[in-house]
Amino acid sequence: MKIAAAFKVVPDDQDIKVAGDRTLDYSKAKNTISVYDLNALEVAAQLAAEVEGSAAVAITAGPASIDEAKLKKSALARGVDELFMTADDACAGMDAKATAAELAKLVAQIGDVDLVVCGDGSADNYAQQVDVQLACKLGWPVVNAATKVTCKGDVLEVERTLEDAVEVVEVALPAVVSVTPDAAEPRIPGMKDILAAGKKPMNVAGASDVAAAAIEVVDCKAPEQADRKLEIFDASEDGAIDSFVAAIKAAL
Amino acid sequence: MKALIIAEHAAAAAELVAGARTMADEVVAISFGGAYECGADKVLNITVPEGLTVDSAVETVNAAFDAENPEIVLVEACRHMKVIAGSLAFHADTAVITDVTAFEAEGAKSMYFGGIAERVQKAAGNVAIYTIGAGVFDGAEGANGSVAEQEWVAPARPVKVVSSQVIEKSGVNLFKADVVVAAGRGFAEESQLSMANDLCDKLGAGLACSRPLTEGVNWLPTERYVGVSGLMLTPKAYIAVGISGQMQHMVGCNRSGAIFAINKDKNAPIFKQCDFGLVGDIKDVLPAITAAL
Repeated sequence: MKIAAAFKVVPDDQDIKVAGDRTLDYSKAKNTISVYDLNALEVAAQLAAEVEGSAAVAITAGPASIDEAKLKKSALARGVDELFMTADDACAGMDAKATAAELAKLVAQIGDVDLVVCGDGSADNYAQQVDVQLACKLGWPVVNAATKVTCKGDVLEVERTLEDAVEVVEVALPAVVSVTPDAAEPRIPGMKDILAAGKKPMNVAGASDVAAAAIEVVDCKAPEQADRKLEIFDASEDGAIDSFVAAIKAAL
Repeated sequence: MKALIIAEHAAAAAELVAGARTMADEVVAISFGGAYECGADKVLNITVPEGLTVDSAVETVNAAFDAENPEIVLVEACRHMKVIAGSLAFHADTAVITDVTAFEAEGAKSMYFGGIAERVQKAAGNVAIYTIGAGVFDGAEGANGSVAEQEWVAPARPVKVVSSQVIEKSGVNLFKADVVVAAGRGFAEESQLSMANDLCDKLGAGLACSRPLTEGVNWLPTERYVGVSGLMLTPKAYIAVGISGQMQHMVGCNRSGAIFAINKDKNAPIFKQCDFGLVGDIKDVLPAITAAL
């Protein structure tokens, strides 16, 4: 079975700062693999290890800046065998439709892919739409919210956790499945994994005919923060607990 | 202007119909497995055949969309409907504007980077498709103008249901709680949660948590975590215990009335985002607070 795990490269949100005019400042935020896509990479790696004769590859599309040695190694250190990356400034800020179209091109280029695994949502947009649009583009079925994925020959059994029910479904391959963080705990790559990753094949190319944006961003600003009182007590000091408790009582 | 509503649940349909009334003069709603009393001008009911998932109705929804030709589509933000919305967007050559929290003159507002920013977006083409969560609009049950059955279109790529089990909810409605106590990674073991429960009992509070306590360790059910892709709460008082205050968590509680924080690390970022903070070990201070209340 050939499995492709899709991931998005995003600025690390831990280091995104809010500027004085409430715009976002990414200058300190390094490129990183969007956190829930680590679960997609892990599911792909685990399925490939379970099903004999399988291969797992990683696919991504984004601006030219994602073509970074450290980042490529980070993806390949997580149990996948090969990387296919479209890195081109024409791919900056793509919506779900354009992203799906670029990923579909990579799936076609790889050939004979049986399963694409996506994460639950990207750290920036969290639209949960690329999986669906990619499946439509490929003409494959899609199952989202997957918490457990089991390969049973040429069908996949997927446990999906919905808002009010746990649904176990069966879907024919090829298919697109998006997994939630419960599906598999991502591995933490060791030094050996990272060194080995540097020797794995990395296929990086530019893009052509990127789809025009279907969504226009009018404005993007941090919300106005409520002013907080910031009264901090230290429990080791006398009366600290009482003051804290009094404040709780006053708020009720 | 014509709006199409697509909802899996009756309550969501009523809210979306009410919202659509502010934007369109004709409102058509799609229901699944029985027409909802949602006050639409017309309800198109889709009966999904036994053994198929609700989101196998993609082609049937596309056919209804083609026949109705709406300019606006409002879709309930839930797992099944997100597949329907995305497939419809592909069909209509667009992309969905997801998880809208408000509609403004310039466009629809959604969270960006989990709430670090808010983004206002609008569709570039002739059709705008939005997914909208519960509570954005106030809706009520109402009589429909007419009801018709939408003819089933067999899916080219069916997803078959092997089994389906209703999730037993814990019964706590954190949205209605005046006080919420949220437990985080500062709880070293599951047994320590009894201290948080004792505090909840004393305050009549609901117990919530940060994401690490639901994933991996499973100490609390997933439906109780606050923050990005989880609950967004606005109680009168929010008491964060052993929570460091990462942005991903804080976006789920930073509109609360008063924020209280307890953490043993005096440098925890939450102490810069709270009204009252207490630096101390939860083992010592939680029982003391519960006793003093």
